[in-house]
Amino acid sequence: MQYENVRTTCIYCGCGCAINLQVLDGEIVGVFPDPQHPISRGSLCIKGWNVASFVRHPDRLATPLVRQGEGFREASWDEALQLVAERMGAIYAASGPQSIGFLASAKCTNEENYLLQKLARTIVRTNNIDHCARL
Amino acid sequence: MREQICKLVAEKLPELAGVVALRQTAVGTAPYLFREGDDLSQLVLEPRYPLPSVVSMLQKRYPEARFGVVARGCDARALVEMAKRNQIDPERLYLVGFTCSAEQAAECYCAAPAPDTAGWPQAMVVGVPVAGAPPNPLVAQYEEMSLAERRAFWQQQFAKCIKCYGCRNICPECFCEACALEDPLWVEAGMLAPPFPMFHLVRAMHMASRCVACRQCELVCPAHIPLTVLYDLMRRDIGELLGYEPGADIAAAPPLSLTLADGMVHGQDQLL
Amino acid sequence: MTNSVPEFSAHTNCFLIIGSNTTEAHPLVASHVMEAQQRGAKVIVVDPRQTQMARLADLYLCPRPGTNVAWLNGLMHVIIAEGLQDASFVQERTEGYEELRQVVMTYPPEKVEEISGIPADDLRAAARLYAQHKPAAILYAMGITQHTTGTDNVKSCANLSMLTGNVGIAGGGVNPLRGQNNVQGACDLGGLPNVYPGYQAVTAPEVKEKFEQAWGVAGLDDQVGLTVTEMIEGAGQGNVRALYVMAENPLLSDPDINHVRHCLEQLDLLVVQDIFLTETAELAHVVLPATSFAEKDGTFTGTDRRVQRVQKAVEPLGESKPDWQIICELAQMMISGSRFQVPNLQPETWNYASPAEVMDEIAPVTPIYGGVSYERLEREGSLQWPVPTADHPGTPYLHKGKFSRGLGRFHAIHSQAAAELPDEAYPFTLTTGRLMFHFHTGTMTRRTEKLAQEVREAYVEMHPDDAARIGLDGAERVRVASRRGEIELAVRVTPAIRPGVVFIPFHFAEAAANVLTHAALDPDSGIPEFKVCAVQVEPVT
Ligand code: SF4
Ligand code: SF4
Ligand code: SF4
Repeated sequence: MQYENVRTTCIYCGCGCAINLQVLDGEIVGVFPDPQHPISRGSLCIKGWNVASFVRHPDRLATPLVRQGEGFREASWDEALQLVAERMGAIYAASGPQSIGFLASAKCTNEENYLLQKLARTIVRTNNIDHCARL
Repeated sequence: MREQICKLVAEKLPELAGVVALRQTAVGTAPYLFREGDDLSQLVLEPRYPLPSVVSMLQKRYPEARFGVVARGCDARALVEMAKRNQIDPERLYLVGFTCSAEQAAECYCAAPAPDTAGWPQAMVVGVPVAGAPPNPLVAQYEEMSLAERRAFWQQQFAKCIKCYGCRNICPECFCEACALEDPLWVEAGMLAPPFPMFHLVRAMHMASRCVACRQCELVCPAHIPLTVLYDLMRRDIGELLGYEPGADIAAAPPLSLTLADGMVHGQDQLL
Repeated sequence: MTNSVPEFSAHTNCFLIIGSNTTEAHPLVASHVMEAQQRGAKVIVVDPRQTQMARLADLYLCPRPGTNVAWLNGLMHVIIAEGLQDASFVQERTEGYEELRQVVMTYPPEKVEEISGIPADDLRAAARLYAQHKPAAILYAMGITQHTTGTDNVKSCANLSMLTGNVGIAGGGVNPLRGQNNVQGACDLGGLPNVYPGYQAVTAPEVKEKFEQAWGVAGLDDQVGLTVTEMIEGAGQGNVRALYVMAENPLLSDPDINHVRHCLEQLDLLVVQDIFLTETAELAHVVLPATSFAEKDGTFTGTDRRVQRVQKAVEPLGESKPDWQIICELAQMMISGSRFQVPNLQPETWNYASPAEVMDEIAPVTPIYGGVSYERLEREGSLQWPVPTADHPGTPYLHKGKFSRGLGRFHAIHSQAAAELPDEAYPFTLTTGRLMFHFHTGTMTRRTEKLAQEVREAYVEMHPDDAARIGLDGAERVRVASRRGEIELAVRVTPAIRPGVVFIPFHFAEAAANVLTHAALDPDSGIPEFKVCAVQVEPVT
């Protein structure tokens, strides 16, 4: 039996409220605000209070998917990543670095955005990287 | 006081599945279930969190287990009302009570800043109780107002509500499976602020004979609405009309639960 | 943001809130504003919709959409005409005042009333409130930036703030409220075509050299890359053949989505990395399952430049992996696959044990994050950049004492009309935005019952006069059409919107507002004009 709160940051707007995820035996069972956080000061909005509800939603993607006709088939990580590396490599060889583009994300972490732009810039040698922040 | 509490917790831990209290780590302070062998130097008493709700959740998940909880006066009162509504089982709970300071009591306008353990199967209180603090001056100011002024006051306050449901989510006495605040019959969905005054009146009504004046709802409100002015008056009326004080006496039957709240009280079977 | 959110409740005495539906889109910023108001701070809201924040305001101005520069110039006209500017700040810390003065003096309140529809006396009242309650903070959101004149709007806000000496003080400043949670961080860490992490230009030779050294490569691209809109356009034209999308859903979030779909369908390779099968992912060739925020570690940077931890609470669902790990594994395969010309790169350089190690690589190459580390974040909770060194405390507000470029520059700007104005065929101005109960394209919030039950479906808001004008006559659904497409949706008639303007939230795929919007961009920022386009509305019977 293990119950603890894991402190993280809300994903639903730029306010940056602190979220305490209540975790019981490896599953999220609730959310608490944090009274000591300088912005959220023990409050949250309705989105923050419900921020963890989709984490175990049945629609979550759980395996890599590869296109097959109109639909998809499940694939292993190895197969899916190989396929991406191969096809992107072929496009790179045929049409050059500027024929490849990357969309980073205002929903992902700083580290993830850093890594994606590093991949684009060092391996593909393109500055075609942007995100939907303006939207 | 903290040392005394830790000592008591350490003594009791071998008999319990764990003790619910606040844990302070480098990242922050939040509720935690301390188990045997855990580092009790991390156990702290501030800030305030609704620990009774955590106890309730754990007891429901583990219907055999016995827990402990480190509780201040309002927490103990909340547990009393929860026990009467089958949200916790006092037989499976060891109450480590502690008294609040005079400053804390003043900040909360708290009339009873120490846990009352009379009638509790297993309990201890650490610390010397201080006197109750004077009531919220806003209540007296409010009572000076005419009916029209009162209406205007609440209209202005409730216009700020961003419908976070935080007041309900944090309240140890709000535990209905189907909440009337989410029922379009009572409160039109999707409106900001929620249409005056149903959201707040419905909640106030449901708090009659339940509200233990812990003030968590007010602390959690991002719109800084003085919600407890409403609940304090409600508490007073229930006291005067029915002679009932929520949270005071674990043996007293709540006057309204059989009528107003009928159908919302969870039976023992639902609890498990 | 130049300033910090906690300063609002602690110091600010007047708020000028422009095009921000604050209580819905940034609720906890609104919480600080409401607290300030309780202690007597003044709140002015300028928005074509009378939002909750507008109803709480001391003064509410309702302009025609797309007239921001005009009324901001008008505000400055009043301030200068009545001698309310901060003369010593203007004298000591700024340049270009004379040019600004000449332009704004051509915007007397009566003329502004004609352009914007804001009554001249209200404009005067707003100018006095703002100028006489220091510190005064300007808060704005997409209502300022999502215009073809977005950059002009932003500069006008800066003009106003400097004119009144509200820059570089606690509780003042110019404060854009970021829509998505980590917009700030995505920009800070180089998710932009023109800059490396820390806003260092890709075209500057010394910067290029620095990153070549840090990353152990030669020949980094020194040309500015393509923006989102250009990439999508490029896909349509065949210049862009492959697109890799990490957790974005351009098929719903971008303007003119019928066109976006057509473009994406031309790609040879579309890879989408996300937690749900989004509208965009449905078109992909390969879909990679990522983890949610609760299943990974990292940092986000909030709207007030505040770097904070994201902490893993539970194990990843199924075979999903954190985005950072997916990128690393892909990078290793790309390097070993030999198709890419990467002679110096070794797959091992992509062996990060944790995001903490990535941050240790970020800090030395990103001066504004120079002193950021996980160890410090644990100890101090959050750090506000710039935090150049390990012993620098971080920066709650910018431009204290001095601007980074020396003197603050005024930009004399004239008002320009929006790209698409209403006409006989499309008589209404459409504006789009967010609701309290949903986030962005609704992928997560519409799968959260407590949120979905508040607002289940898309709707359009319109004024009762307009409802009468189109003969709505009790009909509950309408068809809204622009030159790009049409959607059918529910209608809500409300006096809380300017006559002639209609509003549609953009969270709903089945009645996507962005079918209607157009891709006219601000020439400097590349931001589409979501806040103004011309539509027609007719009842569906
Ligand atoms: S809790 Fe609400 S206000 Fe706070 S960050 Fe999340 S979405 Fe924003
Ligand atoms: S004070 Fe508020 S939170 Fe506490 S019991 Fe009463 S209503 Fe519930
Ligand atoms: S906590 Fe405050 S803002 Fe939230 S629903 Fe309750 S009254 Fe409204």
